[in-house]
Amino acid sequence: MNLNDKVLEIMREVFEMDTVSTDASQKNCPKWDSLHHLTLASELEDAFDIELEPEEIAEMTDFSRVIAMLESKVK
Amino acid sequence: MATFVFRNHTVEPFLGYEGMTYSGYDDISVVPHDVDRYIWLYQVPVNADVQQLAQEVESYCGKLDLVLNSADERKPFIIFSMVDLARLRLTGADTALQEAIMGFNSHVAQLSRQRSNVKWVDLEEFTSRYGTDVLINWKFYLMSQTLLNPKLASDFHIWWSRIQDQLDLKRKKCLVLDLDNTLWGGVLGEDGPDGIQLGGDYPGKAYTIWQRSLLQLTRQGVILAVCSKNNLDDVLEAWNANPAMVLKQEHFAAMRINWLDKASNLQSMAEELNIGLDSMVFVDDNPAERELIKQLLPQVEVPDFPDKPYLLMPFYRDLVERFFRAYVVTDEDRSKTEQYRANALRHAEQAHFADLESYLYSLDIELDIMPADEHNLPRIAQMTQKTNQFNLTTRRYTQDQLRQFIDQGWMIYCVNVSDRFGDSGITGTICLKPVDDLTLHIDSLLLSCRVLGKGIEEAFVKTVFNLLRLDGYRRITADYLPTAKNGQTADFYDRMGMACSTTDAEGAKHYQLSLDSVYQVNNCYNIKVK
Repeated sequence: MNLNDKVLEIMREVFEMDTVSTDASQKNCPKWDSLHHLTLASELEDAFDIELEPEEIAEMTDFSRVIAMLESKVK
Repeated sequence: MATFVFRNHTVEPFLGYEGMTYSGYDDISVVPHDVDRYIWLYQVPVNADVQQLAQEVESYCGKLDLVLNSADERKPFIIFSMVDLARLRLTGADTALQEAIMGFNSHVAQLSRQRSNVKWVDLEEFTSRYGTDVLINWKFYLMSQTLLNPKLASDFHIWWSRIQDQLDLKRKKCLVLDLDNTLWGGVLGEDGPDGIQLGGDYPGKAYTIWQRSLLQLTRQGVILAVCSKNNLDDVLEAWNANPAMVLKQEHFAAMRINWLDKASNLQSMAEELNIGLDSMVFVDDNPAERELIKQLLPQVEVPDFPDKPYLLMPFYRDLVERFFRAYVVTDEDRSKTEQYRANALRHAEQAHFADLESYLYSLDIELDIMPADEHNLPRIAQMTQKTNQFNLTTRRYTQDQLRQFIDQGWMIYCVNVSDRFGDSGITGTICLKPVDDLTLHIDSLLLSCRVLGKGIEEAFVKTVFNLLRLDGYRRITADYLPTAKNGQTADFYDRMGMACSTTDAEGAKHYQLSLDSVYQVNNCYNIKVK
């Protein structure tokens, strides 16, 4: 499974939604509120065995930024 | 179910979002009434000033009392105990905070005894599994006020759903045990009754503690049964001759000690005990036997068995937590083993009589019929949760739902059955819902299987109909809703002389009856109405 698919799967689970698209963002996705954002960060940390700093978590405001963040972490 | 949560931290990742409404942090100004239940989950805040913190925790008792006084007292109110997660201690001797936490927790325990809608949940049971550095994730705490580490959320969900089952009185009824290398160490057929590992030092000691723990379970209303590939005579000898044996023949409600396959044995025991396979838990050290049951009888719960005797205690704790713990244990539960034994005596007696009626006369059956009240409501709720076979509609209710029905004008009766062999306790109930001034609808009618076969169901229902007729009711409607287990009740209303108006595609039958005349009840029962 590639990175995109894996992240989308985690997002579907965290947001309890049937579909999440690659242009999802905190702005256009009502379920992506601050609490779900936190759960998402926690799930990503576990799934990719990484530590995200609070500043990094705050920056991941849409799908492409999440991917960019993960790519910088998972080498 | 709509739930309102009082909290002082972020707890959404743990209790979830669906159907949940959360108060503001430490905000008790709003206590809604249009909810189905309340939850109180306060945690010890983070504050290095321990004295101040202790006072803060003490203040929660008063806040909780205020909320309880303005909450709807018919709705369940679940209160979590408090746990000091952060453990910030400046001096080892400063016990003010621990005392405040203990004070809050004993206040809650007291409330749960005083108010029937209050139920308390021991949060420490969950948190004690983890160390402080796992319990709190400071990063997430500082970002979003989640004191409990959000990474524990999925473990919490599993634990919490079990706790909720316990609160709803859902649990298994029967624990089926193997013998060799399960109740004792070694193989009876090879080591002999005195050679098996039981009593004395390790490993025998582990099996003794395990047997004693299982004995406690029977006092909580769990039925024990044996299913073992052994020679019956060897087992009886071990039970009688080995002085270290704690669990003996009289503790088991059913036994299958033979060389048949265990799936067939389990099925026939379920029939004998009149319980469903889905209320059985099967414990066996042999993985092949466990696999057989998993494959052939998927309804039966089959936990893995520990491979070391010293792991029997954590295994026991897990067993109880997963399958057998009940929030309230009723008196009927406590005496269940005696009741099953008394039933065996009754069956022996039955063989002496030529016809059923003279047998029934000889039993001196007494039926005490009474309306639902605060004392019998827990038992009535429990019966709606657990009764499968003689249950016309199989509707499951909690105590609180039943209490609401009574408020809405429902007539709910229960029956206590006793005879010269013993008291079976409250073993039947009928719940009638008002339709109009003259008509009642039987929403639920059920009898525990341990009193069936004596015509008690008919005597009970006829007596209730006579009472309702005196109260001015003239018409009864009723349904039979088929399930996999209640086939024996399919023609009960026909036998009661009710007219079946319609039968639909799923096999549900709808009945009606005019209460024109008084029902004659067979006088072999001594009936008292309270």
